[in-house]
Parts: sequence; structure tokens; C-alpha cells
Amino acid sequence: MKKQDISRSIEKVDSREKISGAAAFTSDIKLDGMHYAKSVRSPIPRGRIKQVNLPSLPKGYVVVDHRDIPGENVVKMIHDDWPVFPKTEVAYIGEPILLVVGPDKEKVAELADAVEIEFEELEPTFGFTNSAIDLHYDKGDPDRAFETAARTVSYEYETGYQDQAYIEPQGFVGYLDEGTYTLVGSIQCPYYVKNAVLATMAADEDDVRVIQAPVGGAFGGKEEFPSLTATQLAVALRKVQKPIKFIYEREEDMIATTKRHPSKVRMEAALDENNNIQGLRAHVGLDGGAYLGLSGVVLSRGMLAATNAYTIDNVWVDGDVYVTNTVPNGAFRGFGAPQMIFAIEMFIHHVAKEVGEDTYTFRTRHQVSQGDLTSTGGVYRDPIILDEMSKKAEEISDYHRKRKEYEDPDTFKGIGMSWFLHGCGFTGSGEQEKIKARVKLKKDADGTVRILVAAVDMGQGPKTTFRKLVADVLDLPLEQVLFPYPDTRYVPDSGPTVASRTMMVVGGLLARAAKDLKESWREGEVQEAMQRYKQPDYIEWDQDRMKGDAYPAYSWGVNVVEVEVSKVTYEVDIKHVWSVYDLGKAIDERIVLGQADGGQAQGVVGLGYLEVMEHEGGALKQKNLTDYIIPTAVDMPKTENHIMDNPYPLGPYGAKGVGELTLVGGPPAVALAIEQAIGRRVRKAPVTPEYIMELIHNG
Amino acid sequence: MADITFTLNGERITLREEPNLRFLDVLREKLNHTGAKEGCGEGECGACAILLDGHIVNSCLLPLASVDGRDVVTIEGYRMTERYQMLEKAFIEEGAVQCGICTPGMMIAAESMLRENPDPTDEEIRHGLAGNLCRCTGYNMIIAAIRRAAKEGEGLW
Amino acid sequence: MRHIIPKTYREALEHLKSGSLHILAGGTDLMVQNRAWSETPVAFKKDTLYVYNLEELRYIEREGDMLHVGALASYDMLERHPDTPSALKRCIALLASPGLRRVATLAGNIGNASPAADGVLVLYALDARVVLDSADATREIPIEEAITGPGRTAFEDGEMIREIRIPLEDFDSERFKKVGGRKADAISKVSFLGAAAFDGDVIKDLRLALGAVNTTVVRRREIEAQYQGLTAADLKARSQEIREAYAPYVRPIDDQRSTATYRRQVALNLIEDYIHSL
Repeated sequence: MKKQDISRSIEKVDSREKISGAAAFTSDIKLDGMHYAKSVRSPIPRGRIKQVNLPSLPKGYVVVDHRDIPGENVVKMIHDDWPVFPKTEVAYIGEPILLVVGPDKEKVAELADAVEIEFEELEPTFGFTNSAIDLHYDKGDPDRAFETAARTVSYEYETGYQDQAYIEPQGFVGYLDEGTYTLVGSIQCPYYVKNAVLATMAADEDDVRVIQAPVGGAFGGKEEFPSLTATQLAVALRKVQKPIKFIYEREEDMIATTKRHPSKVRMEAALDENNNIQGLRAHVGLDGGAYLGLSGVVLSRGMLAATNAYTIDNVWVDGDVYVTNTVPNGAFRGFGAPQMIFAIEMFIHHVAKEVGEDTYTFRTRHQVSQGDLTSTGGVYRDPIILDEMSKKAEEISDYHRKRKEYEDPDTFKGIGMSWFLHGCGFTGSGEQEKIKARVKLKKDADGTVRILVAAVDMGQGPKTTFRKLVADVLDLPLEQVLFPYPDTRYVPDSGPTVASRTMMVVGGLLARAAKDLKESWREGEVQEAMQRYKQPDYIEWDQDRMKGDAYPAYSWGVNVVEVEVSKVTYEVDIKHVWSVYDLGKAIDERIVLGQADGGQAQGVVGLGYLEVMEHEGGALKQKNLTDYIIPTAVDMPKTENHIMDNPYPLGPYGAKGVGELTLVGGPPAVALAIEQAIGRRVRKAPVTPEYIMELIHNG
Repeated sequence: MADITFTLNGERITLREEPNLRFLDVLREKLNHTGAKEGCGEGECGACAILLDGHIVNSCLLPLASVDGRDVVTIEGYRMTERYQMLEKAFIEEGAVQCGICTPGMMIAAESMLRENPDPTDEEIRHGLAGNLCRCTGYNMIIAAIRRAAKEGEGLW
Repeated sequence: MRHIIPKTYREALEHLKSGSLHILAGGTDLMVQNRAWSETPVAFKKDTLYVYNLEELRYIEREGDMLHVGALASYDMLERHPDTPSALKRCIALLASPGLRRVATLAGNIGNASPAADGVLVLYALDARVVLDSADATREIPIEEAITGPGRTAFEDGEMIREIRIPLEDFDSERFKKVGGRKADAISKVSFLGAAAFDGDVIKDLRLALGAVNTTVVRRREIEAQYQGLTAADLKARSQEIREAYAPYVRPIDDQRSTATYRRQVALNLIEDYIHSL
């Protein structure tokens, strides 16, 4: 019997329990004797803690702070600068200083309100001045490219904050299980949490257990931040010795958790006499917020996307993360790439316009081909089908005709197209040297196979796609392959659920483990199959110089957006979005299409023109879902999405990454459409009505 | 404390509680009905939606006092109905569920809308969902699911 | 804090004698403004009178050319009622979300006195009046007098809204425009209602109201009166002048939802654009 194409969609395995409300999310968990924890936060952007005055605490109520930490007072992540509880200084408004814990929530809230902290206020730092991380790479001879240039063109671009705005706020429930710190929570990365707690508690490997609950949306927001709440909770558990529920309210979540980095990107192109870009200089600045955390890695992914889907021979890229006394910024779907892709896509257009060329022809001439060198001198080894993709996108959107028609400024309509790529998996040798992913399949005597990995289903579907994949390789019915929620007691560290690596990397290892298991299958026996990540031999990456193959594979996309802008209110009406993606091979087509729509909601609509977040003196002005505007069903345009197969030899069934790809190209597509509609050059995203008004009136 | 009597999923109950409790908390904490979720606590996201006298409301903005004498249906009750089955099937077939935190609220919104308007246009569906935020799906698959349920479930609403 | 759940309207008025109380109807403002930590009771700062279930006040009745809207008639009821003025229906369709419209009331929005409340904007344009009862008196005041500033009303302790009276008039032209942060479920950055009635080619009634651009809704009867009696063509020719006439009253603020510059520009654009549409 011929097997069905793996892309053919099946029922998502967790749909029913989620539709019915039966799935127990973190806040739905109740335990006997449960206590509640509430944070007391800094009201100032920067200051020294002079004195903490506590109210008198009734029996059973405690305050937990830095003095209670048995191990390191640092949240272990990439850059270890973030304290679990600040000891002497606070660095942003909303920074949690201590916890009040007790059995009655009203009492806990009352006590938390009664805590008085005296500060010596210090001068806060804001803006793009105080660099804490700087990175650089170059390729070819950029100096010469600029010296010999016929002309140069330079522009600056900006993007703002973006909040992940998952509908389920951050949260954990924790308890001690025969001395083991057991943390159940809404998380993307069970082992990040575990490792952070181990360091803070100075505990042994077996003393910490982390279990994923169903996750109500994450988008990067539950990548590193939960390591902070988890370590605080573990410290509290040690002191209180009772189960504790620790759930953020929406406003706490908005003011205190990591956001997408605001960016400023300066681009400069050196053109030869035929208007070809012979050199590119870029500087990427990110506002890191109060603590660096993952910011350096975010910066690096951003910088690596400097040439996007274009080949430029001579490149010079610098980047800085600036420390400011604002909420720390961190992971958000796309991880630095949306900021950079916005800049380069706008820039390519602006350069073409500056030299009087048709933007489409200009782009096509610089388009990447297989065998070209990447921005860091690696090689695009695999076939690139960007040509077919953009032709398809033009055809379904009627791009060229509309582009021409909307040149008439009276229409106030526009159409924009972006091309983009996204590197799949960790940057450089991260998979090999930092993550070292391991996966396991366990077969019971009755033939049931369990998938044991730490990858988290946060809506994007691995609970379904991993089972589908493993069942397909093993030729078993789906029901015979199980994938329980990851629990670090049973699952090996397959790495975090980030970087569009889940299917390509973890899924790839699972497919190999399944193949091993199939080949060694013995009826009636308990068996295990393990796989460990091995970097493809051809990958060479020099981390210090940022040279070589930054990613083993790239996914590609094209977005086309059509808009009409109101002359009266400057509001944008998105008429339609068309997209074409190369993600290797879809493991489940409907799941991929769901990622596409969701990514566009956040990229085209959200970061592109709708979502505004700003701070004033370090205080975020949009602190709840009333003021921080995310798209409703009425704001979301109709979409048409196409997936083009282009299997990647090392991915499972040819699959590459998908989650971030669907977001990263959205902002420039909508910005370019607005740019055409209003006849002004757009240099900032989101392209809000306020900004459009300014452009129309001031040029 | 006040005695508040209402019908919950067809069963008449009386509670002696503080009237200024949010009904969402009463459902989740006192009655163990956790299908309604708290996403924002200020009536913006719709994750806490329930049917009050057959119509969608945000239970996070409803003080217990206001529920006195009324009829409440939560997702726990709604899931026993034929209409639910039809919507569930359509949500599954159209891929309308991702993380699932908004989904029970979406089901309540769909029921409330279809009860008023059994054959809505896409535009009407969008407006019917305007108080239910979803951050995963971009809504189009949810809209398709409701359209499908309305079509295949003709006569149910 | 006391929590009072009256069984009758009369009983509610008696309780109001005791001083300043929160009067909670749909709760969509009060429940947000006083919210406490989740799973704990709402932290009202005053004694609270829960009137949502006073069915006596849940009515919409037409009497000749007057619509009587009971204090507990929800936006949802108004949207369905055949006698609700079309301008108000246009506004309700874009107001908040279905779940909020089900419980929120015009009376509640008047009590909350937000300059950005769209329903209140329509009441200004339609010359609505507010009927206030106390245990021993009744008075009726125009909506402009009922609201005195952001969050401030002319209501005395002991008074509550019994009903809103909306004169039913026909307009030949009506436009409601809500400019929010998104297309639905948003608080207005600016809102606008324009209405006009013609006698042949001549304007006999012109109404222009703007929300969220000053401490209360902006409606200037003296400016409107100046342009009555003109033909539409004359009016259009003077659109710039009308725009400028409103400029001194458009004094918006910068806040988390928009900028003063944008609000001013858009408010005046909306006036000018509406005049051109006549």
C-alpha cells in the first residue's frame, strides 16, 4: 500500500481537550494546602535599595528575597547578569524585588501592598548610548567597495517594542515532592528552567524536576523569562515548604517580562557605475533593557540577516546592545531578524528609488542563488527556489498590474512585496556546542512507543507532528505512538523550543531514532532508541569572527500585502495578504498554514502597523490589553498561503523551520504597501496612523 | 455575604458568598469550572466568556451579585450539546485550535453569534469574535470553522 | 465596605440616602477600575449598590417623538430596538465587543463620564436629557449639564439615573466615525458624529460632535447655528472656515493611545470631510 504524503493533515491530537476547556493550564491546577506568591516590584527605573520595611507578618506568611537564595543569585542564561532577587540595586520599573507568600490571597495582597521600600534614586539611562555588547563581522573587502563606489546611499530604520501578548500570562505551580523541587509551568524550555533552578538552589541534578503544562501561547516570551519566576519560586518553596501558585496578572506580565528589542539600523550601500550594490555597511542597535540575558544572541541573529535574500560581496556589519533602565528585552519569534529584515527590505527599495530603478528589477538582480556565499561567507548549499516563489506570489496577487495602477497618488492604495529568509536552528555551532540535543524513543512490551523529548507544544503542533512523524517512520498507527507533556524526570535534554529548530533538529533526531528502532524492532520487548545531535560535516563556523555557515539550512518566504490608507484618518486598511513559503516539506499542511496566518497576524498586522508600545522615563505606557493593541478578528485580513516543497536532505522528510519564517517578512511588506499608498518613504515600523500623518505633512 | 441563586448549566444553585467576587473566580475557585480562563482581567480578551441568559458576557467583569436569578452556561455545560459537537468538528477540521487558551471563549462567542444569526457572513463572524483575542491563529481558520459549522449544522441554530 | 443588592428601585433610592455609593449596572467600568488581585473580591472604594438586576429600569419605550431609555437598557438591547435612532445604532455596532455590549449601559457610561465614551458622544449630538431620581425628588437635565469633566458629573449624592430621553428626529445625513487603535474593540482616539437635515437644498439642522478631544464631548451649538440656512454648496465652500471654527475647542492630550497632534488633525479632518460629503 502506498503511504500517504506526510503533509496531508490529520486531526491535531490535543484539539478536543482544548476546545472543551478540559486541558488543565497552569492556573487551573489546584493542590492541597496551596499557598500564593505575589511580587513586590520596583516603582523606579534605577536606584539603590536603602531599606525594606515589612509589615508584621502573621503566622504562615513569609517574605522571600535575596537572602533566602542558597546558591547563585543569578538567573542562569546566556549572559548571567540578571539577579533572581536584586540585592542592592534595582534596574527597571516593575523589577520584582521580593515575594510575599501565604495561604490566603487577600491577606497576601494586603501584606504585599504594605511592604515599604526606601530607595536612593539614581540617574537612569535610556536610549541607544550605553553599549554593553558589540559584535562585528565582515566579508570581502568592504573598505575598497566603498572607496571605489560610483555613489553611496544611506538610510536609517527603526522598529519599536513588541509584546508577545500570549493570552495566558506567565505562571508556575511548584511543590516539594520528597524534597524534589517540582515546577509545573507555562514554559518553552524545560531544561533552561531546570538548569537555572539547579544553579540558584545549588541543588543536585535529581533535586529539580520541571514539567510542562499546556502552554497558552509563548512566541519567545516563555523562552528565558520563566527561568526568573522559576528560580524565585524554588527559593520560596525551600522557605515555605508548601505548594505555591505563582501566576502573573496581565499588567505584571506586561510591565515586567521580556519584549521584542526596539531597534535602530543604519544601512549604507556602495554602488558601482551600473547601480549594482558592491558593498554594504550596516550598524544594528538594539535596546537591551536592564539586563542582557539573551540580547547578544538576538543581536547576532539580527546582524546575520543583514543581506537577507540578496548576495552582496563586500559586507561590514557592526552591532551593539545598549543597556537601559527599562524592562529587559529578549526572545520573540524572529529573534532580531524582523528588525534587520525590515531595514534591509526597505533599504533595497530606497536604494533602487534613489538611483531611479524599478525596485523589482533591482531586487531580482541582487537575489541570492544556490552556491552564493552568505553574509558571513558560508555557502547556500541547497537549491533556492525564490524565483518560482516570487513568480507565484506576483501571479496570485496580480502584483505588477496593481503596483502600476497604484502609482497614481490619488488612489491612496499600495501593494508591497518582501522577500526573506530565516536560518533554521541555533546560530553557528550552537547546536553542536551548547545544546547537544538528545532524544529518546521508548518502546513498551506491548509495542507502545513513547516520544521522550523536551520540545514543548505551545500551539504550534509538535504533539501532533512528532507523533505523526514517528508513527510514519515506524509504520504504526498514530494511537500506538504517544508524546506525553515533557517532564525532565523522564525526557532527555533535546534543547529549547526555539529558533525554528523543533521539527528540523528535534524532529530530525526523532526520525533517525525511529528508523533505528524500526530496524531493531523485537516484538514483546522493552526497547529504547537514542539519538544525539551531530553537526553536518560541512558546517564550519568561527564564533569569534562570525565567519562561515551561520545556519545549516534556510527557509524562504515571500509576502505581498495590499493596503488602502484613509486620507482623513490615516488609518490603514489591509485588503489582502498573499504568501509563498519554502520550508522544505510540511509535516502537516494545515498546521503550517496555521503558523502562516498566525505569523502574519503578528508580523504584517502587529509589528507592521498596529502594535505600539513606548516608555516614558522607563515606565511602559501600554500596560494591559486595552492599551496594548493586538489584532482582533476584524483587523486580520484575508490571506492566501502557498507552500512550495523543496526538501532539505537532512531534515525529517525534508522539513526545515517554519515558526519564525511566517513573521519575519511581514513588516516590510506592509510598510512598502503604505509607502506606495502615501508616496512617502517609510523608515519606521509599526507604520501607525500617527506616523503616516507626520510623513504626509512633513515628508 | 449574600445568597445568590442562579442556574449553572441547567442546575439551580445557591451560593452564600461575597457579592463583589468576580463571577470568573466563583466559577473557577468555588465551583471548579476552569474552562473559562483569565487572560486580561478587564474584559478585553474574552478568554473568560460565558453565556448569561444565552448571550456572551465576560465573566471577569461580572460581579457575583449580578448573576442572581439568571441562567449561566459555561463551556462545561455547552460541551454536552449537539451544537457544540458541530462546532468542535468544524474547529478540528479547519485547524482552528493552536494553543487553546482562547478556544473555549471562542466556542461561547460562536454559539452566541449563531443563536442570533444562524447564517452569518464572514464579516459578521469577524465582528462576532471582536471581543475574543487569539494570538496564535490569525483568526482566519476560526472564521472558516464557524462558517463551516453554520453550513453543516443548518437547522441546529 | 457594604454591598447592597436592592430588590426594587424604590429600595435602591432609599439606600442612596446614606451617602456616596458606587452604583454598579453592567460593571464594565467599575469592575475594571476597582479590580484587585485575581481570585480576590473586587476592591470597591465605596459602598456599592448593585442595580444590574432591577428589571424595572430595563426598558426602552417610545412615546411620541421621545425615546425613553431605562438606566439598565444595555447597548445590545438598544441595538436591537426598532425605535433606537440610527446614529446610535451605527455607534453601538462599533462599540467594544458583543460581550460588553450585552451588559454595558448608556447610563453607566454617563456615570463614568469618560470623554472618549462613544455612546455619550451620540447623546450630545441628539440633544438627549438625563432623568435623575433621588428618594424624594426628580430632575431632568441636558446631557451637557450632566457631565462636567473627565470622570465628573453633576449628580448629587443620593441621585441615580432613571432614564435617558432621546428626542427622535430624522436627519437626511448622518455619519459616525470611530477612530480607535484597531477596527473593533477599542477605546476611541477620536470619535465623530455629524448629522444634518435639509429643507430642500437648505440646511435646517446641522450637528457636529467630537469625542476624546477635550475634557468632555465637544458640541458647539453657536457654531452649528451660524451655518443653518445655508445651502450645501455654500456650506462646502466654507468648510475650511468651519474647520477653523472648531479648532479652539479641539484640545486633546497625548496619552497611551495616541498623540494630541494626531487627534487634533484627525478631528478637524473629520469635520471638514463630513461637510464636503453633504
